[in-house]
Amino acid sequence: MINKRFASVVLFAALLLGAAHPGVSDDAPADNIEDFGPQTFTAIKAQFAGKPFVVSLWSVDCAPCRVELDMLGKMKQADPSFPLVVISTDSIEMRADAADILDEYQLAGETTWMFADSFVERLRFSIDPGWYGELPRSYFYDAEHNMMAHSGILTEEKFRELFPH
Amino acid sequence: MQTSHLISDSLRRLQRRLLPDGLNPIRQFLFAGTLALASLLPGLLLSSPAQALSCEALQAAEGTQTVSVHCGGAPSATFDQNNHLWVAFVADLHVYVSRSEDRGATFSAPVRVNTVPEDAEFNGENRPKIIVADDGTVLLSWTKKTSNRFTGEIRFARSTDGGRSFEEPRTINDDGLAIGHRFDSLFLTESGKLFVTWIDKRDLEASLANSEEYAGAAIYYTVSDDLGASFIPNVRVAHNSCECCRIAVAPHGEDDVAILWRQIFGDQVRDHAIAVLSHEGTVSDFSRATVDNWQIDACPHHGPTMVPASSEGQYHMSWFSAGTIHSGIHYARYDLASATPADIIKVDGTPGAGHPSLATFNDTLYLVWKGFDGMSTPLQLMRSHDNGHSWSTPQTVITTDQASDHPLLITSSDGVYLSWASEQHGYVFKELSND
Repeated sequence: MINKRFASVVLFAALLLGAAHPGVSDDAPADNIEDFGPQTFTAIKAQFAGKPFVVSLWSVDCAPCRVELDMLGKMKQADPSFPLVVISTDSIEMRADAADILDEYQLAGETTWMFADSFVERLRFSIDPGWYGELPRSYFYDAEHNMMAHSGILTEEKFRELFPH
Repeated sequence: MQTSHLISDSLRRLQRRLLPDGLNPIRQFLFAGTLALASLLPGLLLSSPAQALSCEALQAAEGTQTVSVHCGGAPSATFDQNNHLWVAFVADLHVYVSRSEDRGATFSAPVRVNTVPEDAEFNGENRPKIIVADDGTVLLSWTKKTSNRFTGEIRFARSTDGGRSFEEPRTINDDGLAIGHRFDSLFLTESGKLFVTWIDKRDLEASLANSEEYAGAAIYYTVSDDLGASFIPNVRVAHNSCECCRIAVAPHGEDDVAILWRQIFGDQVRDHAIAVLSHEGTVSDFSRATVDNWQIDACPHHGPTMVPASSEGQYHMSWFSAGTIHSGIHYARYDLASATPADIIKVDGTPGAGHPSLATFNDTLYLVWKGFDGMSTPLQLMRSHDNGHSWSTPQTVITTDQASDHPLLITSSDGVYLSWASEQHGYVFKELSND
């Protein structure tokens, strides 16, 4: 729980974060990138209740991530129903850069997420308290939402082994 | 072998959070609220930070265009001969320098270092570095980002008029290639030899051009014996370094330095290596400084820290790993002659914990790092009075539940200080050796 004495600070933070991205809706960006906040991962899991899904974490500044995005883009093209959750750990202020890269790997048509809270430690924690922040990072959830994590580039073979669904 | 990577850091976001027009009442509210909060803080801290002010509060009072250490991106700090504090930071495509004669309570108006705007990197592992030589020459290095494809140049600038103006920045990497040169470190020996080290991809690019594999990047350096008026040609230290971790530099004798960096051993074990770089441009064979067995085809943006121990050729080092042998932040004292670490301890194994910084003062060793408890970031401090054999219980220096930079320890002739930026507290400069 939040220390009571910090409650006012949290209020300020919420205010500021609300105020910090006023341009997002005004600009009406032509992409399918959504804000990833402290509650987003819980909502994503709820969306996949009873179903398996895969999470891929990447960033604009991550070369090996692009190898993985390339593979995932092709898998998604081959099977549009593939349950894939792609999250960029860059600030959503960099959405134009991210959108270009997603487009390159044919993932721009999908809903994806970008970190939208400067306190990234808490966002990382919301995804996985055991994640040290290294990229690329992926998670394989089965239908009961038992989770397996993987760090580093995934080969398609490894991917199929971890996600036989 | 894939070119591996790096987790991008969020510190860029710390630089400025503009409040849009029309929120003036909120500005007032925030400012009042921050002042009210300041009165609550002492109960939470060992002692309150001197005059630290969040960027939001400052902008509420002085406008959103304010250039200040409290709004600056990834500040770093140093003391000059007169124990005046100098802080370098990035704002709006400029590196700035600001000076404090009262140990961070108040700062001079920031002075621009680069007059022509350039994309100076500012995040946890990449920040402008500043040193003031005994004769007052102000020396800076930083990495200029030249694309979104991991390319950059190592930049150097100096002031010979006490920081009133700066010479035009120069590019230190001498290959003339539009490739990766990043993660610079700057160090001045007591004898006046100025070292710049960095991570360089020229050997990677050359291998790729020949369709040969090359793991990681390389470590390069150069030296100046005239405070940056001229530098010797670039020297390679080692092939196959990790691509994105800061390099730790410590003195070795009067004229030389030892450096500690994350190196790729075998196919993909990313532990640490140590080597001695001479002021004449020669490099000792490097040896393995940590055996953590972290097998990962990625780079964690998580570099080590190192300071000299009391015996010649021994170094205190602290680092992060998620290996099978060591996982979390660790400390050890490394002996160059025997190439062995001693007194290895796990400092903090919490996954969110990281970014240690070491300093020594008056026979006391200080170690500060960032913890994370799921909701907030405590800066943790522990001390050793016996050269790293035993340590005090960790204590929390300050806490934030907003975004924050890596903590850095700065040493003067009269103490050890914490240099740290956060959204909540602004720039905090706080003595640790008086508790």
